[in-house]
Amino acid sequence: MLEYIIRRTFQMTIVFFLFLIFSYLLFNAIPGNAFSSLLLNPNLPPDAYQRVLEIYGLDKPLFERTQMYIVNFFKGDFGYSYKYFPKTPIELIAERLPRTLMLFSIVNIVAFYTGFFIGKVLAWRRGSKAETWITVTSVFSYTVFYPWFALMMLWVFGYKLGWLPIGKFLFPEKWYDAPFDSDVVFTSMIKFTVVVSVIQFIAYLVTRGIESLSLRRNLRFGSLLAIFIGSYFYWNNGEALIQKPYASDIAYHMILPVMVVTVVAFAGTALLTRTTMMEVLKEDYILTARAKGISQKRIRDRHAARTALLPVVTSFIFTIVTIIDGSVLTEQIFSWPGMGQLLLQSVLEEDIPVAMATFSFVGVFALIAHLLADVSYSYLDPRIRIKSQG
Amino acid sequence: MSKDVLVVKDLNMHYETLSGDVSAVKNVSFTVKEGESFGLVGESGCGKTSVAMSLLQLQADNAKISSGSIKLDGLEMVGMSESELREVRWDGISIVFQGAMNAWNPVIKVGEQIREAIREHYPDNTKVENTEKIASLFKMVGLDSSIMDRFPHELSGGMKQRAVIALALSCDPKLVIADEPTTALDVVIQDQILKEIKKVQELLGLSLIYISHDIAVIAEMTDKMAVMYAGSIVEKGPTSEIFANPQHSYTQSLLASTPSVVGDKVKLNSLEGEPPSLINQIDGCSFAPRCPNRTTTCHPELDMELVEVGPEHFVDICSANRN
Repeated sequence: MLEYIIRRTFQMTIVFFLFLIFSYLLFNAIPGNAFSSLLLNPNLPPDAYQRVLEIYGLDKPLFERTQMYIVNFFKGDFGYSYKYFPKTPIELIAERLPRTLMLFSIVNIVAFYTGFFIGKVLAWRRGSKAETWITVTSVFSYTVFYPWFALMMLWVFGYKLGWLPIGKFLFPEKWYDAPFDSDVVFTSMIKFTVVVSVIQFIAYLVTRGIESLSLRRNLRFGSLLAIFIGSYFYWNNGEALIQKPYASDIAYHMILPVMVVTVVAFAGTALLTRTTMMEVLKEDYILTARAKGISQKRIRDRHAARTALLPVVTSFIFTIVTIIDGSVLTEQIFSWPGMGQLLLQSVLEEDIPVAMATFSFVGVFALIAHLLADVSYSYLDPRIRIKSQG
Repeated sequence: MSKDVLVVKDLNMHYETLSGDVSAVKNVSFTVKEGESFGLVGESGCGKTSVAMSLLQLQADNAKISSGSIKLDGLEMVGMSESELREVRWDGISIVFQGAMNAWNPVIKVGEQIREAIREHYPDNTKVENTEKIASLFKMVGLDSSIMDRFPHELSGGMKQRAVIALALSCDPKLVIADEPTTALDVVIQDQILKEIKKVQELLGLSLIYISHDIAVIAEMTDKMAVMYAGSIVEKGPTSEIFANPQHSYTQSLLASTPSVVGDKVKLNSLEGEPPSLINQIDGCSFAPRCPNRTTTCHPELDMELVEVGPEHFVDICSANRN
């Protein structure tokens, strides 16, 4: 296993190296550059443009620039943003990343769980009226043109009903005398979410070994209750109390994007889960489980859904990258200034260092996510053995 | 006289299909006593597995038990609610399925799958107790206790089948149904498994229903047997009696189609034709169209009914009248 991971890491480095070269060349293939607009300004001396190019090293041949960029990249020097000069790409990413991370980890988790849950219930209730209608709805939301749907939702909930904000991630007027940056709040929200999930996961692992099912259920319920009580105390004490109104402002702005993306994204998972699980339900071991007198819910979750998980997780891995790059479309529609917008802006403005840094960040994350997926396969299906060769 | 563990009386079960009802089990009655092994034999599609599924009420969604009664230790099982049935399943009646290869969930460890069944019926057991129980079951069927922590794909076919037997015994059931447990195995392993089942049955004094299309296996395994044809029992009685003195033409044909190891080579008798489609209502003797012994004195129009021809030996009225 360890050998496999090392080998994969080595392969990934090569892939990443190629990725860097090709993206750098592609960005440079865009006609013009970030400073072309200087040529149009009549108030600047004629050699200004040339001098700026020299400062940024853009006058050097492409091959030399590529070489320099790659060398500097691996030294950890990503250059400066062309547009926001004194800032480095890292600073820009550090500002944007928490916003995207917060929104899209919630979106992904909610969409995956809704999709998986609905999918397994659909497969279980095969042939019922409810199943037909939910399947039709899922197919609709799977195929609907997403930007149109998102705009319609904005129109309904933001404009007609006025329940939810139309865009941005905060009400600026609320933040005039905030003692801290929005990033601070985002970071503590992320920390909170991570701690809660880790506690929940540990509780799951610990209770797994308990033989009595009722005790197991009660303990899990107890851990959930403890988390609720704990979070109540956390948000009403110390520093978190000061952050609370701001955090809730951000959470309020998150409702609509989370809802809309979930409605669109759950359907894929639900339909896939439904199909794979219907295959699994035909297997003999489901009959064995029924003959053993195990409860319907346990057969559904433990035997059928668990076995059907593999293809579902595979498809989930492909969407997980949105946690980092935040789906450009969604961020654009909900004017959520995260990584997706940074990506789009930097490409449009030909801010190559920022675009490169953002892309590589997403690339590294995608590569690691796929490695983790491959490793998790052997856990999800023990028949898959990770071999050192091949 | 030992007491009756299972009494099945006039059991009728049919499948509701788009082209009409298929009566898979027709007026089946039999009794299994404590510690006794009972064999069900017949061609493929004659309703053996449907009987087994009806006993546990695990039949497909479109299958309906229309009438009859199944009494386990005096407890009526037809019409039980799902939660009552769940308690009877495995604790009262457990089953060894046809394909042991597919009886294990591929992603859960073998030991855990057995533990799951015990946990369901003995929720107060501790983990150590359950582990010891499984280890002793494994020992009984000739498996190493380390197999508990293996995944099903890591076991050979024979090991899986042995583990399935251990699984079937895990909740100390009153009755075990073995539904062609050796079909997917090669002959050597088949023989080992049969011996294992027989040994365990004698050791624990289990009641066993053994279902097979192989009449030789039935002869080896059972005390009493019933021959099924087209959803009905056409002959039942003590195994030795039936083998010595088969009364029904179908039983005679089945016996004639089994090769003998001793004696001269003879051409095996095989039966022409196929069992009738059960979708149509069959009046009278369902075997009549294929019956090799049909004579003018035959009364195929008589409704099927078992009549006693010897001590505890029953046979369908049509064949009974002829002989």
